[in-house]
Formats: sequence, structure tokens, C-alpha cells
Amino acid sequence: MKQRRQPAVGSRGMTRREILRLGAAVTAGAAAGPFVLRYAGAADAFSWRRFAGQSIFIQFTKNPWSDTMEKLLPDFEKQTGIKVEFSDLPEIQARQKLTVEFTAGSGGIDVWYTSLHVEKRRFWKSGWYADLGKFLKDPTMTSPEYDWNDMAGGAKQAVTQPDGSISGLPAFVDPWILFYRKDLFQQKGLKPPRTLADMEGFAQKFHNPPSLYGFVARGLKNANAPAWDWVLFSLGGNFLTKDGKASIQTPEAIKSMDWYAGMLRRFAPPGVVNFNWYECSAAFMQGQVAMYYDGVNFASQFEDKEKSKIAGKVGYAVLPAGPGGHFSPIFSNAVAISAQSKRQGPAYFFAQWATSKQSAIKELLAGVGSARTSVWNDPEVKAKAKMPVDWSQAYVDSLKIGRLGLPEIVGVTEYRDIIGVAIQKAIEGAKSAEVLAQAQKEFQEVLDKTEK
Amino acid sequence: MPNPTDAVRLSAPEPALGVGVRLSRFAHRNARFLFPAPAAITVALIIIYPVLYTGWMSLQEWFASSLTLPKFIALANYQQILTGDPRFREAFFRTLYFTFLAVSVETILGVAMALLFNREFWGRGLVRTLSILPMMATPTAIALVFVMMYHPTLGVMNYLVSLTGLAPFKWTYSSRTALYALALVDVWEWTPLIMLIALAGLAALPREPYESALIDGATDLQSFWYITLPLLRPTIIVAILFRAIDSLKTFDIIFVMTQGGPSNASETINILLFTQAFSYFNMGYASSMAVALFAIVMGASLILMKVRRVGW
Repeated sequence: MKQRRQPAVGSRGMTRREILRLGAAVTAGAAAGPFVLRYAGAADAFSWRRFAGQSIFIQFTKNPWSDTMEKLLPDFEKQTGIKVEFSDLPEIQARQKLTVEFTAGSGGIDVWYTSLHVEKRRFWKSGWYADLGKFLKDPTMTSPEYDWNDMAGGAKQAVTQPDGSISGLPAFVDPWILFYRKDLFQQKGLKPPRTLADMEGFAQKFHNPPSLYGFVARGLKNANAPAWDWVLFSLGGNFLTKDGKASIQTPEAIKSMDWYAGMLRRFAPPGVVNFNWYECSAAFMQGQVAMYYDGVNFASQFEDKEKSKIAGKVGYAVLPAGPGGHFSPIFSNAVAISAQSKRQGPAYFFAQWATSKQSAIKELLAGVGSARTSVWNDPEVKAKAKMPVDWSQAYVDSLKIGRLGLPEIVGVTEYRDIIGVAIQKAIEGAKSAEVLAQAQKEFQEVLDKTEK
Repeated sequence: MPNPTDAVRLSAPEPALGVGVRLSRFAHRNARFLFPAPAAITVALIIIYPVLYTGWMSLQEWFASSLTLPKFIALANYQQILTGDPRFREAFFRTLYFTFLAVSVETILGVAMALLFNREFWGRGLVRTLSILPMMATPTAIALVFVMMYHPTLGVMNYLVSLTGLAPFKWTYSSRTALYALALVDVWEWTPLIMLIALAGLAALPREPYESALIDGATDLQSFWYITLPLLRPTIIVAILFRAIDSLKTFDIIFVMTQGGPSNASETINILLFTQAFSYFNMGYASSMAVALFAIVMGASLILMKVRRVGW
């Protein structure tokens, strides 16, 4: 049996034991290979299919951004293999549901659409936001195309908490702009108002009830707060002092209350005291009103010929300036992930998909603005935009003069209710100084209780 | 009462008992506890536990949160309700006023309708059926319809008002009229309930007193005032009791139509406590309001029950 001992390959050859060992290694390698590769893929590269087969639950609130996103969900499911279930409630009801679910710790909601101007501090203090910073830094979790730095500075600031954690991916920033009836302004040879005084004068000129009212804005308590805040800023006031005390009884505040309540009392349709954006938009779309200001994203419905009698007749402009400066109140909304979610991976995939450039472009084509700066110049957007040019222009220009429209405190809702009641009383004829004295007292009490 | 089989068994105990036999004997002896047990446990879980929990929560300060736990503050919430919160005080009187308005109108109209429909006339069945329809509809749906009807420029109510030559109202769109407009919806919806109960009462009245009154020469008005009303009183009071309890805690129509506004002109205790709980997340304080509302409803019911027994 000497021959067997002779070298078969190379100078030394392999022993039987060596051959066996090699064979086993090759077999094992062939069997394990795919796993090793897949593992390596997960470690080094981003894949949209990583969470295929899992499912998530999303809580939307009713607004144009969500309406558009809901229609895009099948694309997300196809691209990622993640199954999506969602529910869609008006903002206030949605917040009530979220609070109950989060307090109970049910873990049933993975993703929600967060209105940062109301929820930011309270939900953060309650521990309900998952910090997305760790996902953003992780190249296996965030697509290389995501481009975080494309988000507008104000939007990034809005999702960042005092401890540096990131509470959501910015969906859109909502500045307020002026909507006016282009056709009526042309008839009278007027340009959109550049100052508060212009605005008042124009409202007077157009006011011819019951066929046409000069002006409308929100009267309903709580909803009316941001509308008034803008007047307050324009006249040089602020809701808080630098050291965080209530500051709504100043001469500027009283003047702004006189102005805002006076405009609504004199030039708005009857019943304005209970109008939210819905009633305001309805009156505007019925052609009853000459000027209206509100969140820029409510505009898409004005151009909808089925809903609106004034499609094509609406002009869009930056809000006028006042003696205290030129501002647009802005509100930030984001896609947030619940800290209680057990499916944060797929939830984050949805959040980044929904706030990606591609989705932002689709939203923009549907007439909903974006927190991303690059998409406004996208050729497709410019070619196929549903909204007129002056709308995009007003949007971009307003972002430049944007200022947070509500205080960043825990008790935002309390503030809105307190000042809201004061505004309603003033509209119905109470003295501004008196209602604000009361509001100042109540607001300070809330701050004392919730900001400690 | 001793069980006869038990007695037999006691007199002649079997030497060895299987588990099954012992179990069945246990069940037999304790049947009076075992059979109601599922119902009792259900009631305890879904009624008694939440009531006790609300009472416990009302002694805490807690803003719904997963990080900070409730803090025990004893009766501070109640002290705040009683002495430090003008918004609650206003809501309290508003709730009573709303209840008084709605229930008194409903009672007068309801009893009047019952007297009318108690007479024999052609088409009575049809009219009776039609008149209880408001009660059958969902309050939220009714409220939404009334929101449209009350709209100051587009609604049908102001059109009807203008036909009579009056100046238009602002209905729920003004803090002066909102509460009355809401009470009107309540009246529209719940008058039929009082009518139904009063009709049942009328059907049960004896005929003899009326016959003797007729012989003695009493007028219709006199026999109504001295016979019908006193005999019907216990029935009417039950009807008022039902309606008062319901009105004190009205939520649906107010929440849908005004959410307590304009200003806080239609904010009742129930709306206020809902706002405290689910807009301000002030759970402890909201719980103490819930307990207070419970006490108010209880108190009102006790007074009415007492009135039912006392003569006047």
C-alpha cells in the first residue's frame, strides 16, 4: 500500500484526514455561506427589505399631508415588505387616543404624526418619544440617500429636545400666509397688504355684507391662539418674557387684542367667534370673504374645483409686517416613533421613507409643502406643481421670516385655551385690558404648575 | 334553611369520599354564592373598581406620564374645586341652570303632549309614533345636524326666524345664546321620554274620581288640577328624575356642538372634567371633578326621591 502514501498533489500531498477535513470545511462553508453573506450585508449596507414581513401601526391625524401619505402607503409596502395598518383621527381626538394608549403602556402604536407645537415638551417629559438620533447615525438603518442636512434649519431645531434627543423626522413646516381674492383685488387696483394698517384698510374697503365680508380668521378658542400670536409678534410683543414668565398683559398685547378682535368683530362673517380653520376655509371657498390668513397647507383645497367656488381666483402672499417686525408664525410636524414600540426598526423605516426626498416631492406635487429645502427646486415639481407660483414663493419667503407660533412649554393647550377664551370675549365686546389681565393670571398659574 | 340531603348525609356519613363528590357537595352547599359569583365579579371589575380607582386618583396630583408617578396630595384637589377654581364654580352653576332649563321645559311640554295624546282621535297612533322619533336617533348625529341648522348665515333656523320677522340669532355661535340653543336640542330630543312615561301614568289612572267630579259639577280644568295632576305626580317625578340625572351629565351634544364654547359659555362640569383629563392631562384633578359630579347627581336624585314621598 505504498502508493497510497505517495504524494498525489504538490510536493507533500494531502493525508486522508486532511482531505476529509477540507471536504467538511467546504460543505460547511457552502451551507453557511448565504447566512454569512446576509449577515455581512446587514452590518455594512442599508437595505429597504431588512424588515420585510413585519407589520407596524401608524396613527395619523387628519390633514393634507396625511391624506397624501395614506395614498402612498402601498408603495411603501411594496418597497419594504413591511405591512402597514393605520388609523386617521382629527388632531385633538388623535392626541386623546395617544395619551390614553401611552399612559396605559399598550404598545399598540408604533408611529404617529406628531404636532410638535403642542406635544413636544409634554410628550418628551412623559417619556413617549423614542430618540431617533441613534438610528440617524447608524448607516445600516438610514439610507445613504436620506440627507438629513437637507432639512430646513428650523425643522431640525423643532424636532430636537433640550437633552439633544431627536423626537421625530420632520414631515413639514407649516408657516402661515395670507390668502386673498386676486380677482377682487385687481378690480380695485390693489396689491396684497404690506402692513397691518393696509390690511385693516383693505378689509374695510371690501366689506359689504352679506355678499362679501372683508376678513376672516380663527375665532374658536384654542385654535385662535396662533392667529393672535402673529399679531402680537408684529406689534412687538411676545407671550413669554426672556426668563419664561407670562407676558400677555403688556401694552403690545392689549393693542394686538384690540386689533385682532376688532378685525373679526367688524369685518368677519357672523358667528366667527366659533370658527376654526374649517369654517373659515368654508366661508372663503364659498366666496364670502376677501382676505383670510392661516396655515399654508390649507391652501390646496382652495384650488380644488369640486370643493371651491374660487379656484384660480386666490392669491397667496407673505403676511404683512407690523411696527414690531415682519414675521410668519411657523408650526412643525414630524413623524415620531413611540418609545414603547417593540417594532422600532420597521417603524423607523416608515419614518425615513415618509420624510425622504421622493415622498417630499410627491407631497409637493399634491400641494403640500415640505421641510426639505432641495425639493422646492426639483424640475418635476416646477413642471407639474398643482399650486400656483405665488403660493410656493410665499411659502419659501415665509420660512425665512418664520418664528415659532406657540410657546415651547408643557402647558401649550392650557395657554391656547386661556388666551383663546380671552380672544373670544374680546370679539364679543369685552375690554382687551380686562380679558388679558385675567388671562395673564391664569397663564402664570399654569406655568408655575407645569414648568417646575 | 338546612338542605334535606345534607341532613340525610350528616346522619349517615359515607366513609370515603372522592374529589368529585366532595366538589359537588361543596357546590351544593354554597350554591347561593356560586351562582351569582360571575355577575358579582363582573360588576366589581367594571363598576366598583373604576369608581374606587377614580376616588383614589382624586387624591393624587398626576399629569399622565410614563416617567413621573402620581403624587399623593390628600384633599388638595377638592380644596381647589371648592375654593380656588372659578372655572369649576361657573361650570357648576351652568350645569344646574342647563338642567333646570331643559328639564322644566321638557316636563311641561311632555305632560301636555301626554294629555293630548291620551284623548281618542283619528291618527293618534301615527302621531304618537312620530313624536317619539327624536328619542330614537343618535345624539351625536342629532348634534351634527343641529350644528348645520344653527349656522348663522347658512342654517335653516335663521331662515325660519326671518320668516316670523325677527332679527336672526347667533344660536351656538354666541356666548349669550349658546346654552339656550343647546338646551333647545336637549328639549327636542328628550321631551318624548317624559311624554311616554306620563302616558303610561295616565293610562293607569282610575275612572271613578272623574265620574264623581263630573256629577259634583267640576269643570275640566278643575278635574285636571285637583285629580289628574295629584294622581300623576309620582309618575312625573320619576320622569323628572330620569331626565335630571341625564341632563346633569350631558356630554355628547355639547361636546359635538360647542366643546364648551364660545369662551366657556357652555362648559358644564362634564365638559370641563373631560378637558382637564384629555387636553391638560391633569388626571388627578379631573378625577376629583368626576367624584364631585357624582355627588351632585346623587344629591339631586335623593332630593327628588324625597319629594316623591312627601305631600305638598
